[in-house]
Amino acid sequence: MTGWLGRLLVERLIRLAWLLPLAMAGLFTLVSLAPVDPITSYVGARVAEVGPDQRAAIAQAWGLDAPAPERFALWLGHIARGDLGSSITFNAPVAQVLAGRAGASLTLIALAFLMSFAVGLSLGLTAAATRGRWPDRAIRGFAVVLTASPGFWVALLLIALFAVGLGWLPSCCAAPPGLTADEADLAARLRHLILPAATLSVVGTGPLILHSRARAAAFLESPAARHLAAHGARPGWLAWRPGLRHALGPALAVHLAGTGELIGGSVLAETVFAWPGLGQATVRAALGADAPLLLGIALATLVVVFLGNLAADIAARLLDPRLRQA
Amino acid sequence: MRPLSFLALAVSLSLPLAAEAAPPLVLAVGGEPETGFDPIMGWGRYGNPLFQATLLRREADLSLAGDLATGWTLSDDRLTWTITLRDDARFSDGTRLSAEDVAFTFNAARDGDGLTDLKVLKEARATGPLTVELELRHPQITFTGDLATLGIVPKASYGPDYARHPVGAGPFRLVEWREGEQLIVAPNPYWHGPEIPFPRVTFVFGAEAAGLALARTGAAQIVAVPPAEADAAPEGMQVLHVPSVDNRGVMFPMRPAGGTTAEGAPIGNDVTADRAIRVAVDQAVDRTALLALAVNGHGAPAHGPADGLPWDNPADRLSETGPDAARATLESAGWTDADGDGLREKGGLKAQFQLVYPASDSVRQALALGVAEALKPVGIRAIPDGRSWDEIGRLMHSEPVVFGWGSHDPSEVFNLYESSLAGRGWYNPGFYANPAVDAHFAAAEASESYEASLPEWRAAQWDGTTGFGAKGDAAWTWLINIDHSYWVSDCLDLGPIQTEPHGHGWPITQGLPGWRWTCE
Repeated sequence: MTGWLGRLLVERLIRLAWLLPLAMAGLFTLVSLAPVDPITSYVGARVAEVGPDQRAAIAQAWGLDAPAPERFALWLGHIARGDLGSSITFNAPVAQVLAGRAGASLTLIALAFLMSFAVGLSLGLTAAATRGRWPDRAIRGFAVVLTASPGFWVALLLIALFAVGLGWLPSCCAAPPGLTADEADLAARLRHLILPAATLSVVGTGPLILHSRARAAAFLESPAARHLAAHGARPGWLAWRPGLRHALGPALAVHLAGTGELIGGSVLAETVFAWPGLGQATVRAALGADAPLLLGIALATLVVVFLGNLAADIAARLLDPRLRQA
Repeated sequence: MRPLSFLALAVSLSLPLAAEAAPPLVLAVGGEPETGFDPIMGWGRYGNPLFQATLLRREADLSLAGDLATGWTLSDDRLTWTITLRDDARFSDGTRLSAEDVAFTFNAARDGDGLTDLKVLKEARATGPLTVELELRHPQITFTGDLATLGIVPKASYGPDYARHPVGAGPFRLVEWREGEQLIVAPNPYWHGPEIPFPRVTFVFGAEAAGLALARTGAAQIVAVPPAEADAAPEGMQVLHVPSVDNRGVMFPMRPAGGTTAEGAPIGNDVTADRAIRVAVDQAVDRTALLALAVNGHGAPAHGPADGLPWDNPADRLSETGPDAARATLESAGWTDADGDGLREKGGLKAQFQLVYPASDSVRQALALGVAEALKPVGIRAIPDGRSWDEIGRLMHSEPVVFGWGSHDPSEVFNLYESSLAGRGWYNPGFYANPAVDAHFAAAEASESYEASLPEWRAAQWDGTTGFGAKGDAAWTWLINIDHSYWVSDCLDLGPIQTEPHGHGWPITQGLPGWRWTCE
């Protein structure tokens, strides 16, 4: 049992060891080459008030007067000591920005993850149980439409329908305006979470429906399922019990492996819904050529995606004993 | 339920005898300072610093009045300001504000590496518990602008986390800041000003659309709206178009082509170096049409960098305008269309230039296209060219650029036209130089007071014989001033409103402590 887990972990750690520096160097090169001057974007509309001497003082304080390779080496040195540096855009340590915003983002991503997993898996199994008939065709059509829909379009649609049209759900922010975090109760927070999470869940739902349908359908057409059916098992029971067992592992693996897409989608959902998370901070950091914050966010994202993939592999092996021998 | 019960509680606790109760305000006017609320790093230069008090403040007509200062005098050599402070100013933690705090703030801002540029200050000294001396390196009357915008921080508790936990002697204290989402403030009980009727003021940040949605559901009382949406105010709100000096204009390179900057950017443009071309552009553009094209008509024609402000000189306007006047100007200067292709030439040089604008800005794009259209019939070809700010930084010394400015401080005019600032960063990118204008600037900066400097600023624009304005060198063609549009609750009385500077949104909060609620 532990043999395969140890092998997997070692193999993945080796991969992380070369992947991380490579990704960081690549990203730093991109940020350095970007045609955005961090000081110009920091000064923004206040060009008239900030003179050349002050700009030089800012550049010196940020270490921007050193050449790019030297800055990267400096950054690496700090990382080795656990210091992520300071964000230019937010004038605060990167670790503080990450800590302050990660909670909001993780809540959103986690709920979206659960929503799309529940919806995707149950629709997939329902489609498998009714394959060839109208519910199957409707669900497959729905899955294709979902997969083809851009996230921002879904967000606008949801806002137009539930926030503006029906007035059921708020279209912005993580809590009602005017209330402090202590005053806003759980129900209000959940209400604010629904539309952004629904938007974000769209990213993963479509593929998951099709994937779990295919898996369950393959089982339902297998000799084992025919045997059970011959003994009187109903199609619904077959799909939802043994079918679920067959579809669950691959579905979870596919879904966990899609963590990266979920994080990417969160940038968009957070921007549209004014959700105060890391996605929003990423946009600001990119527009301001805020290299320390961008690298910090990228580092955190890379680790999360890596863990997601690792969890996918472990889950798949736990749920399907056949994979453990490989 | 909860806001109501909170309101009832707040009112019953703090205003037992109040005749009418104002509700908590919710504003969606953008302007979140991502770096926090530290005046030394640059917070509060536009609009209201909320938490901190300033030595002086600008009234609605931009005249200067005392806030923390009860007296301010400038020495005869124009180098040392002596400031007397009021004795009843307290920070929101209850501690007294003293001359030490003022000196600390100014010295820290001078040494700071943020957006507060106080390099002109030599030293600030507390000479008594309530008197401060501010010594400058050279005479600079526009330092009064810093007296009016730099919020005073407490020396005792100022530290690295100040930006996120501000303490000041201003009208409000911080209740909660959820970054990227909203800022909640409440009146500072120790403030020396009049009582503020609102128990709480909330600023909602995030996307513009979110603010509009809040207004439509009645959850916000003031919302900044884009020009295209402004006229459809929801019920219970009215549209407010605030005039501004948030201007847009075309900057011209003034020198003939030749030479490069230290960074290697080319300097000069043979076409725009000719005054006749610049005057013809000023005459040919139809500013009313540009307003309709770029901002739905919500704005005013612009003729100078500070239209309507105390240091503006309207006498610099050209008397003859329109395409015919432009054609006459070009003809008499020798720009003729000899080959009949619709484009004028002079000595083999075609009347043609790029018109650069930031590609990310749709308003400036519309202006560039509009100007190009207006110049076609008079025989000048302007080729609109959208670029990134970085590219503009390299192109701006040799090609005309659509820039936007607008400040409550005459030093902006200095920065745009002073010859010694030519090519220094974004200041005077066209290498404009006129000794008479420089002399007026020097005289203005050496004035005995802000009021006394105003005639010199006006003379720099047009002194009867020369100036940077259209009648003089026509160094820029100013196009439009953009109105800033807001939806404001019918129950809210904003009092007198300043002509707003560059930046739509936060400047509306300038008079916030004086706002009144007029409904029951």
